[in-house]
Amino acid sequence: MTPTTWPGPDLLDRARLTRLLQAYGVYAALVALFVVAAVLDSSFLSAGNVRIQLFQVAPTLMVALGMALVIGTEGVDLSVGAVIALAASVVPLYVGYGAPLAILIALVFGAVSGALGGTMVAFARIQPIVATLSLMIGLRGVAELINGNSAKPVMDSGLLSLGSDGFAGVPLMAWIAGVCAVLTALLVRRTTFGRQLVAIGDNRQASKLAGLPVRRVLVTVYVLSGVLAAFAGAMIVGHGAEADPANQGLNMELNAITAVVVGGTPLTGGRVRVLGTVAGALFMQLITAVLTQHNVHTSYTQLVEAAIICCAVYASQERGTR
Amino acid sequence: MNVQSKTFSAAVLAAGLCLAVTGCTKSGDSDSGGDSKSSAAANDNAAASQQVASPSASGPGCTYKTYGGGVPKLDITDGKTVVGFSQSESTSNPFRATETKSIEQQAKKLGVKLIQRNANADVNAQNSQIEDMIAQGAKVLVVAPENSDGLGPALAKAKAAKVPVLTIDRTVGGSACTDFMAFIGSDFYHQAQIAADDLAGATGGEAHVAILTGTPGNNVTTDRTKGFQDQAKAKYPKMRIVASQTGNFAQTDGQKVMEQLLQSHSDINAVYAENDEMALGAIQAIRSAGKTPGKDVKVVSIDGIEQAVKNVAAGQMVSDIETNPRFGPLAFQALQDFYGDTGVQPKVIIKDGHFTADNAKQALDQGLVY
Repeated sequence: MTPTTWPGPDLLDRARLTRLLQAYGVYAALVALFVVAAVLDSSFLSAGNVRIQLFQVAPTLMVALGMALVIGTEGVDLSVGAVIALAASVVPLYVGYGAPLAILIALVFGAVSGALGGTMVAFARIQPIVATLSLMIGLRGVAELINGNSAKPVMDSGLLSLGSDGFAGVPLMAWIAGVCAVLTALLVRRTTFGRQLVAIGDNRQASKLAGLPVRRVLVTVYVLSGVLAAFAGAMIVGHGAEADPANQGLNMELNAITAVVVGGTPLTGGRVRVLGTVAGALFMQLITAVLTQHNVHTSYTQLVEAAIICCAVYASQERGTR
Repeated sequence: MNVQSKTFSAAVLAAGLCLAVTGCTKSGDSDSGGDSKSSAAANDNAAASQQVASPSASGPGCTYKTYGGGVPKLDITDGKTVVGFSQSESTSNPFRATETKSIEQQAKKLGVKLIQRNANADVNAQNSQIEDMIAQGAKVLVVAPENSDGLGPALAKAKAAKVPVLTIDRTVGGSACTDFMAFIGSDFYHQAQIAADDLAGATGGEAHVAILTGTPGNNVTTDRTKGFQDQAKAKYPKMRIVASQTGNFAQTDGQKVMEQLLQSHSDINAVYAENDEMALGAIQAIRSAGKTPGKDVKVVSIDGIEQAVKNVAAGQMVSDIETNPRFGPLAFQALQDFYGDTGVQPKVIIKDGHFTADNAKQALDQGLVY
C-alpha cells in the first residue's frame, strides 16, 4: 500500500476498493462499532466495561486462534466445544493437586483429542468436517461420563483466580489470550512450520509432491487447536466457578468459526489472518454486548449476527479472485 | 515422518488413557461426592415428597372408562403390564436426575415393569421414543414433555393405540381425559408471583429488576415471565423491570448476560432468575462487577437445587422457590386411581416449598433439597 495521501479518483476503481475493504474492513468495522457504542452510552468506555468484554472474549479468542490455523489448512475443527466440555470434566477431578497441574492434565486431554482428529484427517484422509464432527459428538459423551453427569461447583482458589483476577487492570485470561495470539502470529509468519501450513492449505497435493511433511503438520495443527480449546475450557470453569460438561462449550465451535471468518480468513485455506481473527472475535463480542446492554430481544441479536457473517463471507469470497 | 507422528500421537494417547484409567484423581472439595447421596436421601425422605395443593375440580375424575371413549382396564402392578416413561432432558440437571430416580424407585417399590427413554431436549427424538415404547408394548405412558406444542404426533399415535398418557412437570396442548389423562406439576405462574413478592420485600418495594428468562418457547418460561410481570404491575407500583434477556436456563449464559446488564444498568438492585442455574451465573457476574450479592443486588430464583439453597442460607440469595421433582408416588397413585373408581383430576397442582433465610439451613440439614 504505497500512497500516504488520499488516492485520486483514478485509483478509486472497484477492484482497489474491494481489496482495501478486504484487508482493513474488519478493523474499520471494529473501530466504527466502538465509536457508535461509546456515543450511545458513554459508560461503554469505562474500565469496568472493557474488563467485562475482555473476560468474555478471551476463551472465544483462544479457540478461534486454533480454529484459524485449522481453517488455514483448508480444514475445520468442530470438536473444540466438546474439548471444552472435556476440560470442564477433567479439571475438577485433579484440582486437589493444585490448579496448574489440573490445567496441565486438561491440556493433555485436549492434545489427545486433537491428535485423534488430526490423525483421522491426515492419515485416514477423512474429511475434517466429518472427522471432527464425530469427535464433537463422542467427546461430549466422554466428558459427561467422566464427570458423572452433573454440574459441580469449583472452589479452588487457583482456578478462581485464573477466571477472575487481573494484572494491570486487564484480566489474566485476556493476557493469556493475547500472548497466545502473538505466538500464533509469529508461528504463522516467522517459522517454516507456518509457511508449510499455509502451503498445505493452498494445495495439499502440490505440497506433498514438493516433499513437505504434510501429515505431521496437519496432526500438529489439530493438536494445537485441541490444546487451545482445553485452555479455554479451564478459563470458562474458573470464570463461572462451576464445571458443567453438559452445557459449557456449547456452540463454541460456531463462535470460533465466526470470529475467524469475520476476521477475513477464507474457508478455502491457504491463508491465516491472526490479527484479523483477534479483531473478528472482538467485533462479535462487542456486537453482542451492545445489543444485550440495550436490552434488544435475543431474536434480533441473532439476526444481526447472521447478517454480519453473510457480509464477511461475501467479502472473503471476493478475496479468492485477488 | 509418518512413523514419527504416529508414535507421537500413540504416546500422547497412551498417556491420556493411563491418566484416565489409573484414576489417581483428587478433587479437592469435599463437596462433589455428596450430590448423588443427598438426592437419593431426599428421595427416601418422606418430608421431601410431593404433596397435592389443589386438584383443579372436585367433579368426577378421569378413569379408564371415560378416557378417549374408554381404554382397556389394566393392573399396572401385576408385573407384566409395561409402563413407559419418557424423560425430556438430560439428567445432568439435578431436577431431571431426581425426577427420573423418583419414578424408578416408585416403580420398583410397587413392582411395576418400567421402560424409559431420555430425549435430551430434542422434541423430535421424544416423539419417536414415545412411538418406540408403544411399539415395544407399553400400555400406559408417563411423559415429561419437552415443550407444550411439539408432541402432537406421539400423542396421536398413543390415542390410536388406546394407550393413555399422563403428563408431568410441563403441560401439553389438547384436552384432559381426551388427548392426555391429566397434568401433575407446579403452578409456574404462582411461583413467579412469589418471586416478585420476595424481591419487593427485600428492596422495600423499589426493586430495579433484571429478569433472566428461560429457554424461549415452553410454558415454564412463559408462565414464569408473565407471573412476575403481572404481580409487579398489580402490587408493586415502584418496582421497575429494567431489562429482560434469555439465559437459556444455563449458568454460563446467565452469567454472560448479567455481566453485560450490570455494565449498562448500574441501577439494577434485583435479579429474578427463572431457574437456579442462571441465578448461580448471576451471582458470579455480580461478584465480578465488584458488587456483593445479597447486599447490593438481591437475587431470587426458582427450582430448589442444593447449590442455590446453600446460597440462600449464606445470605447471597434472598429466596428460592421450590419445584418439587419427586413425581414417583403421585404419578403412580394417579395411574392407580385412573384404573380404579376414584379417577384422576385434570390438573393436579403440587405444593412447592419456599426456601428463605429462615428455613434454608434447616432444609439442607433435613435433606429436603436436591
